[in-house]
Amino acid sequence: MTAPLLTVRGVHRTFGSGAAAVHALRDISFEVEPGTMVALVGRSGSGKTTLLNVIGGLDRPDSGEVTVDGVEVTGLDEDGLSRLRRERVSYVFQNFGLIPVLSAAENVGVPLRLARAEPKEREHRVELLLELVGLADHARQRPGELSGGQQQRVAIARALAASPRLLIADEPTGQLDAETGLSVMALIRGIVESEGVTALVSTHDPVMMALADRVVRIADGQLLP
Amino acid sequence: MRLLPALHWPSIRGRARADAGPLLLVVLVVAAVSLLAAAVPPLLRGTADDAAREAVREHPDESAVRVDARWEDDYGPSGGRVRNDRLARDVEDLGGQAEATLDAGLRDALQPPVTTVTSISLVLTDGSVQRHFQLDYLRSGADGPAVTWLAGRAPGATREGNPEIPLNGSPWEVQVGLSETAAAALKMRPGDHIPLEDEQRNKYNVKVSGVFRPVDPRDPAWRLVPSALRPVAGLDGAGTTRLGGLLSASSLPDARLAFLQDQLRRTVWFSAEPDRLTWESAQRLAATVATLKAESGTSAERDTSLKWQTQLDGVLREVQAQVDAAYGQASVLLIAVLAGAVLVLLLAADLLMRRRSPALIAARQRGASLPGIAGELLIESLVVAVPAAALGIAVAFAVAGDAALPWVVPVASCGILAGPAFGTVAAARGTRDRRTPANRAARLFAQRTAQLRRAALDAAVVLAAVGAIVSLRQRGVGDSALPAAAPALAVIAATLLLVRLMPVVTGVALRQSLRSRRPLAVFGAAQAAATASRVLPLLVLTTTTALASFAVTLSATTGSGLADGAWRTVGADARLDVAPDETGSTAALAAKIAAAPGVTHVVAGDISGGVRVVTNDTSLTPNLVIVDAAAFHRLLASTPLPDAPGLDQLGKGGRDGIPVLVRGSLHPGLSLRLYLEDDQDSGASGGYSTAENAIKLTAVGAAPAIDGMDDVVVIDAAALPGTPDTIWATGPGAARAIDAVAASGHPVVRDAVLAARRSAPLTAGLRALDLAAAGTLLALGMLGFALGAAAGAPARWRTLARLRTLGLRTRDTRRVAAGELLPPVLVAAVSGPLLGVLLVRLTLGPLSLRLITAQSADPPAVVPWWLLGVASIVLLLTLVAVVVAEAAVRRRRGLGDVLRAGGD
Ligand SMILES: Nc1ncnc2c1ncn2[C@@H]1O[C@H](COP(=O)(O)OP(=O)(O)OP(=O)(O)O)[C@@H](O)[C@H]1O
Ligand SMILES: [Mg+2]
Repeated sequence: MTAPLLTVRGVHRTFGSGAAAVHALRDISFEVEPGTMVALVGRSGSGKTTLLNVIGGLDRPDSGEVTVDGVEVTGLDEDGLSRLRRERVSYVFQNFGLIPVLSAAENVGVPLRLARAEPKEREHRVELLLELVGLADHARQRPGELSGGQQQRVAIARALAASPRLLIADEPTGQLDAETGLSVMALIRGIVESEGVTALVSTHDPVMMALADRVVRIADGQLLP
Repeated sequence: MRLLPALHWPSIRGRARADAGPLLLVVLVVAAVSLLAAAVPPLLRGTADDAAREAVREHPDESAVRVDARWEDDYGPSGGRVRNDRLARDVEDLGGQAEATLDAGLRDALQPPVTTVTSISLVLTDGSVQRHFQLDYLRSGADGPAVTWLAGRAPGATREGNPEIPLNGSPWEVQVGLSETAAAALKMRPGDHIPLEDEQRNKYNVKVSGVFRPVDPRDPAWRLVPSALRPVAGLDGAGTTRLGGLLSASSLPDARLAFLQDQLRRTVWFSAEPDRLTWESAQRLAATVATLKAESGTSAERDTSLKWQTQLDGVLREVQAQVDAAYGQASVLLIAVLAGAVLVLLLAADLLMRRRSPALIAARQRGASLPGIAGELLIESLVVAVPAAALGIAVAFAVAGDAALPWVVPVASCGILAGPAFGTVAAARGTRDRRTPANRAARLFAQRTAQLRRAALDAAVVLAAVGAIVSLRQRGVGDSALPAAAPALAVIAATLLLVRLMPVVTGVALRQSLRSRRPLAVFGAAQAAATASRVLPLLVLTTTTALASFAVTLSATTGSGLADGAWRTVGADARLDVAPDETGSTAALAAKIAAAPGVTHVVAGDISGGVRVVTNDTSLTPNLVIVDAAAFHRLLASTPLPDAPGLDQLGKGGRDGIPVLVRGSLHPGLSLRLYLEDDQDSGASGGYSTAENAIKLTAVGAAPAIDGMDDVVVIDAAALPGTPDTIWATGPGAARAIDAVAASGHPVVRDAVLAARRSAPLTAGLRALDLAAAGTLLALGMLGFALGAAAGAPARWRTLARLRTLGLRTRDTRRVAAGELLPPVLVAAVSGPLLGVLLVRLTLGPLSLRLITAQSADPPAVVPWWLLGVASIVLLLTLVAVVVAEAAVRRRRGLGDVLRAGGD
């Protein structure tokens, strides 16, 4: 049996205090095997985003522990978190988050620049990734000149650029129509298989869930069995 | 039907609470700029009043108004002349009559009238040479200025009552009082008769009744006829002395009989009351007198109407030019500050609009009408801007005693209207059903239209700026607003063109940085390129920096111009204009000054005006300066005054006459003939030496500027001996050395001249305004920068948060943020001072700076580079402060929160 890539143990997260306190996460514990695609499912307000933020080190839990690829995320300082994001964890957001004045290829190259990769190597990898997401012909276009689905593909390529171990996607299809959303989801599925990354994807679309290896359900801040 | 749209009070209050910060800034800007705009015009009017008062105080005689009136005939029924016992009272009535012609406002600015009756100047035939005598009557109010009789008594009547006197009798006796000094000079006692005759050798019978001493010799009435108190030199030609005899109300009727109609003259004098005079009343007085003078016809007319005269307009003319220049410069500076304030208020409205547009759009979607939204926003801005403007105006009133309301209108109305206008437009745009067309051609068309609209706006501003500059350069500032707005418009136009260039420049920078291997440079450049097309922040920053640079350059140029003007006026560190009766000892005085400690150069020269120079076709009367050329050259070389290399050529004898330097309408290369005034033979009539003894001169070079004189001929003392009457001295001890011999003439010390000019009301006021405007503009620029940064902050930090999810380190985010904000600061720091300096170059002439610095020509622009450098550093520090503050504010929010709140 392989060691889990992601371990979440006893995570609590509460916003506010007193009567106004919102218990967004309550004693969450689960593990994810490497190379799998996990769908995080729950109604709006159930705590999906909060959980993904805690796992990726964008937010800190009140208690509990998160380990990604052997690194204890909850124990890292700011610099440690930066390194974690550069090397092991990457994100895909609902609203793409591309830099508008850079071309698709340059956007994909951003993590490689941060990692100070050689320009030659960078250009090569960008080319490869754009081909992987099916946008080799759109390398020079800017985000404003691409459709929503194409933008999300660029964002996925960018997330893969630095060869992360864990890909966190918070409702990556939220702003896309059903068909495009499905193709983006299929892309992530394919990448998990071809690149060997582990993906944690939140969604509330049952169709999308079918593509995942495993579904984790959350309601009211608690995992459902 | 409801006339007023429904207003939702809770949202008005809620909005104001949420945006208290920006609204407070609006209050500050409106209040501060209203104060400046409202206070400066009345303060300037105050300094203009001071300048007019000072001019009148310095020229009391020229600024007085005099009214002459011929006498009524006094022929009696039998062909003789009738004595008028009431003559003194009649004379007093004349004063009242003249006063009644003036309106109450003018009468207030004048001292009570003084009436004088003066005789022609008679010749004393006591054997002395060149002594003259005049009979004077003085009356202010019921009587003349008070005197005490030391001997004898006041002049009495020769004959009481109103008898008729035959024309052909012996000279009628008149009694006069003599002042102590006059009695001593004439060696006369009460009862003596003064031997007098006129130019036709007619005898006069004037008897001394007593000797008096004035109770107050400084009574202004005495100034009108100074000869009544003491002998006065020069009134009847060079070398003459005039003495006077004082008439009384009783002896005045006898004086009338003793003289012919035209030999006795009655005049009413109104002296201006400097303390009560204003710039406005002084001008009105001069204009009124000019009208009265025109109405009263020529003095040759044989009627007894009042003939008005004054030289007040001449006295005011110089001040007028200065006041006009000061008003012009002040309105240029005020408009610059107003322009900066309006731009900052627009930026504040833009920030508010950005923060509120989601809420406003939501309100609109919930059913609020556009007029309703506009009304709510207007109520808020009225509550914010009106009290702020009122506060500014109130403080201006307290400080300046008055407030110039029209100047407050631009900033107040912008403070009131910009917010509602921007907000309503945002609400309208957000809910309009028009989306970006999907069709590529239609999208292109929409883009073209928008570009065309912007280009048209730019072109309009550029055209207005060019028009304003042209009209400023052609006609000066004048009274209209367009030329005064020229600098502000020019800077705005130039900045708009820079804004157009910004996307190109940041695009190039981005492409360049993409080639580099530093990720931070790429992100900074990318952020900068993304925000490069925002017009307002760059416009505000560059415009205020340029106009602040304009103001400090103006101030520095004025400062150095004043120093230069003082050098030109004095010609050295100090100068002594030797008194006419001391010119014999000029050489000794010069030697004494030269021996004093700290004096490096001393030159004595002869400046005389009574010469005529004839060239081939013209004849003019320049000032002749006879000076030791070599010594004068050494002295000039030790000063910052322009060098006059021609002085070295004067020592050498020329073939075609004595070499001279010339200036003014004469120019080098001319052959001249010089005629000296021949005062020995023809006295005051002023003949010139004849053609045979003309002196031949050749103009070999340009003369240095001396004492602001126009036409000058400089000649070496070795070639033409003169009588030196002017001593120039340089060196740290020069002022003290010249002051030590002040008794021998009139000392003029450069430091004192400079200090007096610097502290002159208009100059000091303008320089204070220069600095106040520069400071306000710089503060507005910093504020504008902070507002622009705040408006872009949410988007900036959202992008930075995304970059952090990609692995950008927290501490590097500040550098990327600085990279985004840097371009406008760099552009402003570089182009602002350059634009400001260029503007000063363009407008020095039209702003008539030379009138304020007392220079003969427009001064060269003096650029205080270090001050401009400090301004640039201040801007950069503001950038650092803004970034540090933004980062500190956002550090408290987690990355997850930022991204969740985002969702652009
Ligand atoms: N910063 C915060 N302060 C207070 N409450 C918060 C904060 N962030 C999230 N919450 C609350 O925590 C709960 C979980 O929110 P979360 O965003 O994780 O839900 P979600 O499952 O992602 O919902 P959605 O599907 O709508 O994105 C919600 O009740 C939310 O209101
Ligand atoms: Mg969510």
